[in-house]
This record gives sequence, structure tokens and C-alpha cells, in this order.
Amino acid sequence: MSVVLKDFYADWCGPCQMIKTVVEEFEELHPEIEIQRINIDDEEDLAEEYDVSSIPCLVLEKDGEEVTREVGVVTTKKLEKMLGKAK
Amino acid sequence: MTKKDIIIIGAGMAGLTAAIYARRAGKSVLVLEGKIHGGQIINTLKVDNWPGDPGVSGPDLMNKIYHQVNNLGVEVEYDEVISIQKTAENGEFLVKIEDEEYSSGAIILAVGTEPRKLSEKQTKEAGKRPISYCATCDGALYKGKPVVVVGSGNTAKYEIKYLEGICSKVYHIHHDDPIPDEAVAVFAAIGRVPNTEFLKSLVKLDENGYIDAGENCETSCPGVFVAGDCRTKETRQLVTAAADGAVAANAAVQYLA
Repeated sequence: MSVVLKDFYADWCGPCQMIKTVVEEFEELHPEIEIQRINIDDEEDLAEEYDVSSIPCLVLEKDGEEVTREVGVVTTKKLEKMLGKAK
Repeated sequence: MTKKDIIIIGAGMAGLTAAIYARRAGKSVLVLEGKIHGGQIINTLKVDNWPGDPGVSGPDLMNKIYHQVNNLGVEVEYDEVISIQKTAENGEFLVKIEDEEYSSGAIILAVGTEPRKLSEKQTKEAGKRPISYCATCDGALYKGKPVVVVGSGNTAKYEIKYLEGICSKVYHIHHDDPIPDEAVAVFAAIGRVPNTEFLKSLVKLDENGYIDAGENCETSCPGVFVAGDCRTKETRQLVTAAADGAVAANAAVQYLA
């Protein structure tokens, strides 16, 4: 089973900068999860493919399938809840 | 149950400044935040009216203050508060979150405001099209595409100007107009409302939901103080939020003496 967390962000997005620390903390707690930070200005096509209409947007995938997503700021607790849905 | 001298609800400028003052006065302090620390200003990447640091980014400023608060030994917990009650026996406050309860001798409410939601009618008309409450946050996602801004105040004007630099066309409508079919996204700028629904049985609110208090930050309930944008006041700015934080914290410390 492979679990990936895609973090869609942009440099001009304030809330994205606030959750960066949250995602980093989560990464330390869960080394088994692959975190992908995706700058939507550099990867417009990918953002469109994932239908990202507001950022920050976190998409959790299990074996390549989207399990759940959160739009807006999140806390570590919420990330744990997201992860719970993938198990 | 964890007990603190002072529990502060909200980790924006007002709440975090209150935490600094209360902690430096030797009180044990817990800050509860339902979303993320920083408050409304984290949506502003260039702040030009914060004295001493012109052009500072909102996120940077708030992360600095957050670390300052942490280093003073204040706990910040990320949980949405469900209710606050004053106990009849000893006048202590019970603060309920999803799966836990805290108690304290005094409370500081620094819950801020949130964007007013689009009307039911316009939400329905928007259908599957995304609704945004922050042009600087989401504008770039609609580069070269037509969008619509709803609202008639200064924020709406600012958002229109901002979006005109990015989008192919920016429609402008008021809060009861139909949403144009051509727009691919809706930007709502129809004012802000205080996050005080869960507090109406605890403190007196004004007709718009703001917590009724003067410059001394004292609410109708002894032991409960209010700081920042959620208070009835004329000027809602970063510095006045910080000022309220100091006033409310000192008042809470006095109350506990």
C-alpha cells in the first residue's frame, strides 16, 4: 500500500505558508507517507487535472486513488483524520 | 481535566498578544484555535501599516509571534470550542471541545470574524462553480478566464482591481443580482461576520453578533474579556487587535487577583 499526500500551494498564498509547518511536522511523524509539494504556478496542468479551485488543497491518495481532500488550513489532528480514512 | 488561569479562544493577533501579556504576568495560559494560528492577516502578503516593519508578510509576522508565544511557555491547541459555561459553584469556566474539557478562572474571547457567506439564491446559481472569499488567495487559479465579484464595499472594489490584472473579464454584481453564466468562478466580498454564534448564551452580543464591550474589553459576564475584531468597535486593524490583547490580558489578570 502506498499513501501519498499532495500539497497544492503557491508562493503568493499566505495560508499555504502557515500549513507548511503543519505538513512538515506530519512528515516527521509519518515517514511511510510520501509528501509531494506541488506549486500550482509551475504545474498548472496537474492542478487542473486534480480540479484544484482553491488553495491550500491537500489530496490524500492510496495506491493512486484519491481517498479524501481538505481545502483550506488544516492542523496535524485533521491530517491524522485524513490518514485514518486511508487505512 | 486540565486547569489554567486563563484560556484564550483564538490565535490571531489579539489572542496571541493577550497570551504574551498574560504569560508575562505569571499566569498559566492555554490558547485554543479552531483553524490555524495567525488569523485574518495571514491572507495579506504585504502589510504596510504595522509600525516598524513596513511591507512585512502577514504569515511571517504571525509565525514570529506564534514562536514568541511558544517560547514563553504558552500552549496552543488546535481545537474548535463547542461551548463555554460559567459554573455556579465557584465561578470557574468550563470550555468544551470535541472530546475534552478544560477549566479556567478567566476567559479571553479573540474569535475574530469570517467572510459573510453568499446568499442561498446565489449559491444555488453558482452551482458547481467554485466560490472564493479571497481574491488574492485564489485569483491566480483563473488566469485568463472570466470571473464575477459579488459585493459593493471597499473589499469588492479592491478585489475587482486585483482580478482585472489576472482574469480575462471581471463581472461586478451586487448581493441580490443573478450570477452571470459566463463566469467560471464567483468571488464573494460581501462583508464579514463575527464568529460568535456559540457565545450568545455567555455574553451580550450586539445586533450584528459582535461582543458588546468598551475599550476596557470587559463583557457582560464577569471574568470574560474580549479582544480584537469580534468586539464592538470603530477601528478593526492589526494594531488595535494587539492593543485589545494587552488590555484584555491585564483585565483578566486583575480579575484573578
